[in-house]
Amino acid sequence: MTFRTQTQADAKEAFVAAKKERNTYQAIHAARGLVQGEGGIRHLNFLSREIESTTNWRVPLHPLKIALLSSFSIEFAQPAIVTYGFLNGLDIKVYRGGFGQFRQEILDPSSGLYVYGPDVVVLAVEGMDWIPGLYRQFLEHDEKEIQTLVSQTREEISDLLKALRNRSGAAVLVHNFAPPNSLASGIIDGQRQAGQRQWVHRLNEALAEVCRQTDSAYVVDYAGMVGRFGAEIWYDERMRLYARAPIAADQLPHLAAEYMKYFRALRGLSKKCVVVDLDNTLWGGVLGEDGLHGIRLGNEYPGNAFVAFQQELLNLHRRGVLLAVASKNNPADVDEVFAQNKNMLLERKHFACLQIHWNAKSESLRAIAQELNIGLEHIVFVDDNPVECEEISRALPMLTVICLPDQPERYSRALLQDGLFDSLTLSSEDLRRGELYKQRDQAEALRADSGSLEQFYRSLEMEITIAPVEKASLVRAAQLTQKTNQFNVTTIRYTEAEITMRMSRPEWHLATVSVRDRFGESGIVGFLMAQASGKSFVIDSFLLSCRVIGRTVETAMLAHLCEEAGKRNLMELHGRIIPTAKNAPVRQLFQQHGFDKTAETESGESFWKLLLKERSVAWPDWMKIYASDSVSGKE
Amino acid sequence: MDQRIKEIMADVLNLDSKSIDETTAKDHIESWDSLNHINLVMAIEQEFQVSFDVSEIESMLSFSDIMEVLDRKLQN
Repeated sequence: MTFRTQTQADAKEAFVAAKKERNTYQAIHAARGLVQGEGGIRHLNFLSREIESTTNWRVPLHPLKIALLSSFSIEFAQPAIVTYGFLNGLDIKVYRGGFGQFRQEILDPSSGLYVYGPDVVVLAVEGMDWIPGLYRQFLEHDEKEIQTLVSQTREEISDLLKALRNRSGAAVLVHNFAPPNSLASGIIDGQRQAGQRQWVHRLNEALAEVCRQTDSAYVVDYAGMVGRFGAEIWYDERMRLYARAPIAADQLPHLAAEYMKYFRALRGLSKKCVVVDLDNTLWGGVLGEDGLHGIRLGNEYPGNAFVAFQQELLNLHRRGVLLAVASKNNPADVDEVFAQNKNMLLERKHFACLQIHWNAKSESLRAIAQELNIGLEHIVFVDDNPVECEEISRALPMLTVICLPDQPERYSRALLQDGLFDSLTLSSEDLRRGELYKQRDQAEALRADSGSLEQFYRSLEMEITIAPVEKASLVRAAQLTQKTNQFNVTTIRYTEAEITMRMSRPEWHLATVSVRDRFGESGIVGFLMAQASGKSFVIDSFLLSCRVIGRTVETAMLAHLCEEAGKRNLMELHGRIIPTAKNAPVRQLFQQHGFDKTAETESGESFWKLLLKERSVAWPDWMKIYASDSVSGKE
Repeated sequence: MDQRIKEIMADVLNLDSKSIDETTAKDHIESWDSLNHINLVMAIEQEFQVSFDVSEIESMLSFSDIMEVLDRKLQN
């Protein structure tokens, strides 16, 4: 959130001061104040320069190397991309391909692109530049020729993505194509069987299909963006022709903001939980004053605006985002609303956690983070009261705060416009997550009942499946590396393409872990990856979703690795812990399982070794294990 | 107005706004390349809510040229 009273000069001064102290959150906060509203090329130029020249932020940024390949002068978007990256905690370094050189960059194995080695490649090509026949020259072609043009373009895109995929593990973001501003045949186009707009649409479908077939390639819905903001103001025809800069200056931040949705998802920064206030947020009015029947919620304005907002929250819940409440209210009054108000779309069961009392909201948020076992930086707080918002911003600067506008009809846009919850996959686990957390709660309750820990483990009736990564589980495996922060020894993020590359190498061993217990199926909750090197088996990735921490699943995973090492005649199992702000729960992993520490660096990274001749990790006998022999790289 | 222009130039061209005067010209400022020229023009357009013709863009080659073009624009 930003403080509305702040002037831009104040914000600039605050940024410079925060930068001097290397205070990450204050600098982000000030920078946000400075870029508030549309445009601001001057501020974006100033900020991006300052950001690019600063290192050693006290809270480090997540590094991200991107390559921009384009048919136009995309360098004008760079200040916005760097600055918006910073607002999202990313340290973005940019490589720009020669203007209009996107084909050469991709097809030439020795191009600057591959030397640079990006994490993400953005392919931003204007339809008009790639296939003029579908745009300005549409009327010069008959239907058959247009059909040929579209299939040729599809093939070319497919070839480019294949070449890129063979040479780089980077995620690829491909712009789709916006329809022309004015249609060549005028008002009749929409009625024609093969109108111009229809053809662009078909080309976009073909592009989406190519991206679906390519690992870690994703469509950027550029057509949708141009439509959303309006083609008339999106483009600057003058600058297109004079400086090859077709996108109007005012729109560049929108393009950058769209990229951020992808970058956040790729770097494991998507938000996982939204915490809402109640009064004037879920309903109009104040429950304590207006009473059960006085609050505004229903078919008429403003009640229908609050119903609409609840529907959006319900949609987030269905997408796997956790909902929670932090409200200053009497719990009994709120219970009454849940029980009796028929206009409430959201029910008590949709919320994973409720904090309803009169203490500070920062306290509520800490409690929610702890109970749901998620980091504060994965939480979005939504409140209509600027004072509460400011309290949270100051007390918990890592949290994203959305201070709602005065008009309830604007709530949904405020919540959704930045795509904070977006992810690049929508796995079946996501769609069930709300339910999965409920299972976890039941298991926790059981733990409180059981006497000894072993009794508890037995009572869970766990069944574990350790299986090779395959096409169907690849998405989930990559997602786990991108999203798991706590029980993760190295926190190395991988794209699907990078994992696929390792799957084909015999020295690598990759497996996913699924857990089933008496409360239900958790799906794939763990992932491991190790590499045979000399006489050693070296663990590269070893992670578990926080839903199943503390149930000795990790012991089974290590036992599996010992067994696999044995099959490969390896003598030692090696592991390392790269400490992060988050992964305290995993730090004792190797020590607890009898590994010896061999080294520790100044930054706290530690190295561990288990001599398999002397010791091994035994399978826990309170769970059923299903591990197929085929668990290994394709050999 | 001249102070606002100086501040925009300082932000876009990485200059100290106090160092900018009538003699500040594209030819003498290393950071004032063709890329930043467009950035500068776009920044001025945003700040003053105007739109320059290409002929105007091509003539805004110094602080005093910019002032002159913008003056004319704002009077129309």
